[in-house]
Amino acid sequence: MPDVSHDPSTSLTRVARLGALLESAQLLHASLDLDTLLAHLVRTVMGRHLVARAVVAIGDGETARVAALRGLRSLAVGDPFDASVAESVGLTRVLPIGTPPVGLLGLGPAGRSVDADEEAFLLGLLGIAASGIANARAHEETRRLNTDLDRKNQELASLVELVRALARTTDPDEVARVLGLTLAGQWALSRYAVLAARPGQPPVARQKGMTLPPCDRYLEALARLPDACTPEEIEDTALRDLLADQRVALLFPLRVGGQTVGLAALGPRPSGLGYGPHDREIGAGMAAQAVVALENCWNFRETLEKQQMEKELALAAGIQRGLLPAALPHVEGLDVAGASRPARVVGGDYYDALLVERANAPYLLCVADVAGKGIAASLLMSGMHATLRALIGHDLSLAALAAQTNELLFAATPGNKYVTAVLLQVDASSGQCRYVSAGHNDLLVVRPGGDVEWCPATGLAFGMFPGAAYGEGELTLAAGDISVLYSDGVTEAQRTDGAEFGATRLVDAVHSAASQPAEAIVAHVLREIDRFTRGVPQYDDITIVVVKRTA
Amino acid sequence: MPQPFSVQRTDEGDISVLALEGFLDAHTAPIFEQAIQSELDNGRARLVVDGQKLSYISSAGLGVFMGFIEQIRQEGGDLKICGLNQRVRQIFEILGFQAIYDMLDTVPDAVRRFSEVPTREA
Repeated sequence: MPDVSHDPSTSLTRVARLGALLESAQLLHASLDLDTLLAHLVRTVMGRHLVARAVVAIGDGETARVAALRGLRSLAVGDPFDASVAESVGLTRVLPIGTPPVGLLGLGPAGRSVDADEEAFLLGLLGIAASGIANARAHEETRRLNTDLDRKNQELASLVELVRALARTTDPDEVARVLGLTLAGQWALSRYAVLAARPGQPPVARQKGMTLPPCDRYLEALARLPDACTPEEIEDTALRDLLADQRVALLFPLRVGGQTVGLAALGPRPSGLGYGPHDREIGAGMAAQAVVALENCWNFRETLEKQQMEKELALAAGIQRGLLPAALPHVEGLDVAGASRPARVVGGDYYDALLVERANAPYLLCVADVAGKGIAASLLMSGMHATLRALIGHDLSLAALAAQTNELLFAATPGNKYVTAVLLQVDASSGQCRYVSAGHNDLLVVRPGGDVEWCPATGLAFGMFPGAAYGEGELTLAAGDISVLYSDGVTEAQRTDGAEFGATRLVDAVHSAASQPAEAIVAHVLREIDRFTRGVPQYDDITIVVVKRTA
Repeated sequence: MPQPFSVQRTDEGDISVLALEGFLDAHTAPIFEQAIQSELDNGRARLVVDGQKLSYISSAGLGVFMGFIEQIRQEGGDLKICGLNQRVRQIFEILGFQAIYDMLDTVPDAVRRFSEVPTREA
């Protein structure tokens, strides 16, 4: 402290100084607003020292930055400030504010001589200012933290609200709508897009102010991107240009279980605001929630569709069963039975037994096997049924019937689809038989003495080539003779080890039941097949027709 | 439990006042969207949204405001917001809506504002 003078005028000056100091102290401590505080500091110092230019910089010596200034045009708030900067702009004194310093005060040349007391006043003022600045900064920091906390709370509330809204829907479009609205609200966007695609499901697209093409075209490129990125960060030039062209500012690929199914795109934020790392995080979080909801909706729909499909299949199976003869026409001297077991709900095998309403007309038996299985095969099977039933009344020879059937099926089937069939015409009174085999497996005849006869194909499968001709084969059934018409599902029925039921087991099965009625023979063969395959799921349709001459 | 939400509509000359009540969230957003859309369909693009009775707004609810603002301003109108309670207003401010929308205390303030600033840059 300067030494104390007893001059009354000096005492008065000192009292005035103390008063000013007290006033400043009150002011500096009352204000938590840094700008007000610094303005007061600068104003006071400039007034007392008659200084025309002054700068207050905040921060320690290395990183101090201009926070308030008067009378200087060459510096601006935010500029770095130290002794050399001060010198360069004509400030002649640089004083630390407080110990340890919270900032620097730079002053131009004083307009009057400054005595020791005035100097002491200045140091006192700076000391008070230092604590005021520290208070104001702490207050500012607290406010900033509070704002951050408010924002975090809001984001959390937003995410919770999104999850809740998404849980309410089973509609993928609704998911896109809710996500789009939430993104628009969260970043005050008037442009955004939510696109998603899954094979077999209608594409999902919700766009505002953007017209991005369907995303299934560039899902692969999206799959290579991180969870959040800007168009500039994308290497794929086509995708980058596409997004930039639509003014996409931030992009979130929609991913679920390692699969990329779409994207959420944000347009630019208003007022030139950008997206920080935190925005990427919260956006990616929202996208992740939405894509899980999307996946759930899709799965839900697929389950519904599957149930619907199963209902329709069951209906189709009922219709198909109706195409097979419910009861075979009875003919004196013949015992006929048949059965068909599709591998799936519906199948491609067909058998029939037809008796034309005409005196001495022969009995016509048929087993047909459509290439393939399931719905496609079942449709063709019904075509075969209709064709044969339509042609049967035309009094054609067996060969002509086969040729006509081939023409009609060829016209009605795609190139790679065909039907093998065996048609057996039996004269009940004489036992004379004629048959046509259109690429079908050999017709089997088993005689009571143990003789076995195999009758090979007499032409190509139906529906393969137009104009195909068919030969007729002949055979005779004596009393007790059995003929077996079957599809390859019988002989090719498989065990787990891959072994097939085969022709020998078929003959043995027929032989061992030969004394029984046709229906029992059919049942026995089916049982033997089941015993052989031991529960291995049936791979192909199984059809068998047995005709036995009783007299 | 879905929370109730409703929009009451009144006229102040060629300005439509939409008073919101209840919870504006993803679930109720379509009601508000419809209300704004029907104003635009009737050629009315000068809108005041009165949020005095708005008790909650989610991001999705805020999204509705963004969904129409460009069209409203392209048609020479504006959407001004007023009467928000402290909590709701804070959400608007955290997300920076005050930079895009005029936010006023009362409906008369908002209506008067139209004579000073009929529209803003879209």
